[in-house]
Amino acid sequence: MRTIDDFTRPLEYLSPLDDPLGKIVRDWAENDVIPYRRQFDEDWEHHRLIEPAFDKLLGVLGLQRVLFPEDLGGWGLGRSNYIGTAAYRLMEEVARADSGMGVAFGVVYWPLLMICVEPHVNRELCEEFAPIFCNTSEARFAANAMTEPQGGADIENMEIVKGSTIQTTAVLDGDEWVINGHKLWPTNSGGVCDLFGVVCTTNPGSADPDDFAFIFVPADTPGCTQGPPYEKAGMAADKNGDIWFDHVRVPKHYRAHGPGLDLTYFKEVITMGNLGSISFVSGAMMNVFERLYDFTSQQIYQGKPLKEHDAVAGVLADIVKDIEITRIIGYQYARMVDRPDLYGPRWDEGIVAKGRAYKYWACDQAMIDVGKAMNLMSAYGADRDWDIEKHWRDLKIVQLWMGGKQLCQAEVARWFFDLETV
Amino acid sequence: MSEHSLFPFTHEWLSDMDLSLAENLKRWSDNELIAKRLEYKEDYEQLLMPAITKLFVEIGMQRLLWPEAHGGDGHNGPAAALTMVAALEQVARGDTSIALLLSGMWAFQSVIAMQGTINDTVCQGLAGFFGSDESPALVSLILPLYGSDAQASAKLSNGQWTIEASNTRPIASGTDASIFCLLCSLGESPDDIGLIAVPGSAKGIERGEAFLKTGLAADRNADVSFNTVKVSENGCIAQGREACHGLLSWLYLGISASTVGALFAAYEILKEWGDSRVIKGKGQVFKNNPLTASVMAEVAKETSLSRMLTYDLARILSEPSIYGAAGEEANFVTAIMVAHQVAQAAEKAINNAMELMASAGYATEWSLERYWRDAKTMQLCLGPQELSKMDMAGYFYQSTAAVSGKK
Repeated sequence: MRTIDDFTRPLEYLSPLDDPLGKIVRDWAENDVIPYRRQFDEDWEHHRLIEPAFDKLLGVLGLQRVLFPEDLGGWGLGRSNYIGTAAYRLMEEVARADSGMGVAFGVVYWPLLMICVEPHVNRELCEEFAPIFCNTSEARFAANAMTEPQGGADIENMEIVKGSTIQTTAVLDGDEWVINGHKLWPTNSGGVCDLFGVVCTTNPGSADPDDFAFIFVPADTPGCTQGPPYEKAGMAADKNGDIWFDHVRVPKHYRAHGPGLDLTYFKEVITMGNLGSISFVSGAMMNVFERLYDFTSQQIYQGKPLKEHDAVAGVLADIVKDIEITRIIGYQYARMVDRPDLYGPRWDEGIVAKGRAYKYWACDQAMIDVGKAMNLMSAYGADRDWDIEKHWRDLKIVQLWMGGKQLCQAEVARWFFDLETV
Repeated sequence: MSEHSLFPFTHEWLSDMDLSLAENLKRWSDNELIAKRLEYKEDYEQLLMPAITKLFVEIGMQRLLWPEAHGGDGHNGPAAALTMVAALEQVARGDTSIALLLSGMWAFQSVIAMQGTINDTVCQGLAGFFGSDESPALVSLILPLYGSDAQASAKLSNGQWTIEASNTRPIASGTDASIFCLLCSLGESPDDIGLIAVPGSAKGIERGEAFLKTGLAADRNADVSFNTVKVSENGCIAQGREACHGLLSWLYLGISASTVGALFAAYEILKEWGDSRVIKGKGQVFKNNPLTASVMAEVAKETSLSRMLTYDLARILSEPSIYGAAGEEANFVTAIMVAHQVAQAAEKAINNAMELMASAGYATEWSLERYWRDAKTMQLCLGPQELSKMDMAGYFYQSTAAVSGKK
């Protein structure tokens, strides 16, 4: 019998953590998530079922510590040359069980990338924030506060708007930044966040890279308020909400790197967001394969299993073909992230654009394929007991976040064809 | 301009009554559903059940296509196919799942209550359900899930049908049905099939727990078993492939029209987004960006073409003197093709609309995600397209693939 481990991975460049950590996370998924995930949709607001699973993964197993230096209680992954491939495997395993948990898990690292990863480790801020994540056995969450009400993910369209649309302001007052603004939608908001990375401008309307600021704000700082979580089509384990910054004061050194460098390294955040997105697709799709394998083996049509009918087999082939390709592409992109000496820095526009391309290809194919899988299942396709409809709802969200498809298209076309106005 | 006149349809085929009904149902959707959906979301007790009761009983949709002689309004000629589309578009625009419930009921009524072929005995027996002034008459259709394999079998003995079926999966309403209509295998031959109507209160019916599903919240569905359920001989309302396919053709028409209604709703939501969203921080309204405008055009194109196709199918079913009976192979295959085409178009168009709206596309607040879930769930009522294609290939190419899998 074939299993998800029969899908191809580039074995020669997997991380040394791949096997041991992959097994640990798979066990966690099997025991702490999969038996309960059909009840997660009704748990979107309070996380009574979801929170214990996060506590185990992030706190007890300690995966919220992985990026921090070892001497600060972390695992030192930020200084390794396998952050991409290691993260890919972990996020893929989590997403196989629940991609909402996958994104919440992945985003714990997202703002921390700015300060924990070579070649731009900010030792002072690592020391400042490591205790939040390393000195506890309970889950702790970080979030990137980027999107704003007036233009959505426009802020991520860096090459065109260059930060000029950012309306959250950071004003230096002595040794403190004073932050004012309103953010929407970050993963790990909705009341659960412990540490925000906030995209700000020091000069509203400016397209000067020096005016782009990435500033850390502990969630319990006076003036920082999280709204309740939004209700969404899926991904109940990922809480999103409004955040208001009302004269929030943080120390001057909470700015990640300073003028120019904040914007440069922020593009790496986009790269890793695309890598994470692809890993969620391949993880979820592997579970689609597993459930579809069971379904088409058990259901009988004209006296034999559904999968044994030629027309059905053709559709099954289409689906696994795309899973196979998505996984290979995902690991290839992870390898590109791991080897900047060969492929260029992670913040390079080409790396960002290629990540956008892979992400939107993987998402588009996944939506087509899960839709086909549901169609094959007829009246069972929409039944939550078969899990596939959950992945369909969740994967749609992966497709739409970070600016949706059109922003991906614009960035890809812009880089490959040297566009100047799109 | 409302979507009613914006997207093309063949006005000349509709009666004044059809047009007036559509306008009234548009208002019903606006007032009873769209105006309340932010507050109540998909709450069955607060929003959907009151809306169903008002539509079926107070407005009288369960009597519309029912014969006058049995307490109905008497619009039970084949032209009701067009009435049905005009009505379902507007109902589905407010809530797609309520339109599915109507589609199932009207497809059932088309078999027993159509002028010229009225089954008076059965109609008399069911008049209490469809003529009710108190409760909605919900019909649960139990049809083959894959190709032609019936989920139930029935045997005739001593003037009674005995039905056996374990854990059948209805199209809808397994939990709440007043009447079940099962496509049953009646013998060894694949053509030996029939539709049997069973009152929901019949002895031996075992309803499972309502299961959670992707969409169509007004439909509370559950697996249903029929343990030696007995009904009288005239409970078999149609026998033979063509007669059974007649019900399916009408059901597919209803599903197509309901899907078009979901597309109307998606269009309206996207239009509001396109009119108001500003991108690139330069004051450019979303709809004026060429990249996004081209995708918005796709949504409009799919909606327009789906509507035209659906009216064409309705016209075919409304004119049996020209096109033949609804269950004739040519019409049945056309109905399958139209329904699948419209479902795929809706999947593509609503996907496009969601892509354009990014996070707002999947936020409950904007309601688009609900129509996306509903349209997909509705599509699954059609069964696997790959197996439906065998019927298409059988008609156009005389392929025997639909039955060769048995060998």
